[in-house]
Amino acid sequence: MYKYVIRRVLMAVPVLLMSSLIVFGLMRIMPGDALTALMAESGNVGEKELKKLRKDLGLDKPYHEQYLIWLWQMVTLSPGDSIFTNEPIPVALKKAVPVTLELATLAMILGLAISIPVGVLSATRQDTAPDYAGRVVAVSGLSLPDFWLGTLVITFAAIWFQWIPPIGYVSFWEQPWRNLQQFLLPAAVLGFRLSAATMRMTRSTVLEVLREDYVRTAWAKGLAGRIVVYKHALKNALIPVVTIVGGQLGTLLAGTVIVETIFALPGMGRLTVEAILFRDYPVVQTNVMLVAATLVTLNLLVDLTYAWLDPRIRYQ
Amino acid sequence: MATASAPAATLAAEPEPIGRLSALWTTIRRKPLGAVSAAIIAVLVFTAIFADVLAPYDPLFAQPEHRLLRPSQAHPFGTDDIGRDVLSRIIHGSRISLWVGLLAVGIGTVVGMIIGLVSGYWEGRLDLVLQRVMDAIQAIPGLILALAIVSVLKPNTTNAMIAIAMVIIPGNARIVRGAVLSAKQNRYVEAAHAMGCRHPRIIAQHILPNVTAPILIIASIWLGNAILIEASLSFLGVGTQPPDPSWGLMLSSTGRAFMEQAPWLAIFPGLAISLAVLAFNLFGDTLRDAWDPRLRGTR
Repeated sequence: MYKYVIRRVLMAVPVLLMSSLIVFGLMRIMPGDALTALMAESGNVGEKELKKLRKDLGLDKPYHEQYLIWLWQMVTLSPGDSIFTNEPIPVALKKAVPVTLELATLAMILGLAISIPVGVLSATRQDTAPDYAGRVVAVSGLSLPDFWLGTLVITFAAIWFQWIPPIGYVSFWEQPWRNLQQFLLPAAVLGFRLSAATMRMTRSTVLEVLREDYVRTAWAKGLAGRIVVYKHALKNALIPVVTIVGGQLGTLLAGTVIVETIFALPGMGRLTVEAILFRDYPVVQTNVMLVAATLVTLNLLVDLTYAWLDPRIRYQ
Repeated sequence: MATASAPAATLAAEPEPIGRLSALWTTIRRKPLGAVSAAIIAVLVFTAIFADVLAPYDPLFAQPEHRLLRPSQAHPFGTDDIGRDVLSRIIHGSRISLWVGLLAVGIGTVVGMIIGLVSGYWEGRLDLVLQRVMDAIQAIPGLILALAIVSVLKPNTTNAMIAIAMVIIPGNARIVRGAVLSAKQNRYVEAAHAMGCRHPRIIAQHILPNVTAPILIIASIWLGNAILIEASLSFLGVGTQPPDPSWGLMLSSTGRAFMEQAPWLAIFPGLAISLAVLAFNLFGDTLRDAWDPRLRGTR
């Protein structure tokens, strides 16, 4: 097991290096360089200042040197400052990461709280009205764009209930109630999107497992239905579900981009979109790398949970 | 043709288009949702092709005196903030969505297929490198990657398409690689090697037919996703640019701003996106059930 973990961690290194090359490369393909584009847009910076700025940012060095410098910054966790706000990137991240983390966690909890019970219900009552209802909801969750859902939710909450989520982000620790009011709708929208695939997967794996011999045995020895379904069937049906949930982490993070934009939450997603739109490339590079590293780590954790869920899986 | 059903004896395994179509037909008869989704797709394609004839107004024609009109007989979906007919814009928007979807998925599928074929067929060091590159691309969430690519290239419809294709490539490459690896195990591939067939011939004659089913299934599911990503990019302002009628752009530009006074501006484009994506998702499911139940759960 330890060997497996170490090997997986070692394998993640080249992947992340490659990701960093892609990100770095992308930011350098930009026609002209970042600064000329930037300054042309603001329009009031002289040639001399431009040169100085370029030197300060190390843009006058050859690409491979720039890349190595940046890589070192990433490794030592000192990614420098934003071009736009001049704020050190770690400071910006410290504000943004908790927002996205809370949003993503809430969305994940809501998503699982909807999808697993509904998926199980759908499977145990196969081809009845609740099953069809569950499946319709699941397919629509896959197809309704989150930005549309978000817009509708905000508007109809305002029209029907005269209720608008409080504006101006506050952290959970300062004002928990106000904070939850701000996060509930966006997390629900994201959670609904996430629940779709999980619900489908839960339904089909539970259906499969319910036909296994040990489930029949459990029924035969007179166990209560609830125990058969939840203890014997669900636990064994969860492995593919965990894969799906793991695979959705990317979707979840991408979803936060949209939802944060709509609900005006100052998280990673919005920070990244703004940085991309303003071509604030140090911020873009850092954020994208952070996201990639998070995803790679989470996927590793997902793989390790399999072993916990299914003792038959032994990693070499 | 599924690998499992290919007996070793059929040396020159011909693809059987008739068999595949009849499998699809059987599934559609059992699951009418597949037929419904196919019908929706047909209507979409028809709308996109004949948009000029079908749209009651010019999608760019503004009549400021008729701004923000409720849905009525003259304007079934109402008008927007500068008096353009929403129905006409949605009809023309189907062109952008389908066009972007088809081309992005086309490019993504072909490139992904080539990478997957090379990777799975020759394996070895090249495979290792290619797979790590694919891993690296996949480590970045699709929408963020697409956003970064588009902002580097310049926000417009074509670049949105390229960005979406980039997002599609790794997944496709991986699935094709898997299919190739399993197709290579077939005795007839070994036999072809033994008989001295050249690689291109083996790939074209013996490997490719095993790979087409998964490719088509994934492509149809990706079509829905591609439409969704295009809409998201346009929504964020880095896809299709105004005044072109992209569904995502309609939602973000006028839809959100006038949502309370004129909800139809947001409702109809959103419905159009949802319906298109839903149809492609359901159709992909149907193809999968018909051709390759083993792919269940892949997306």
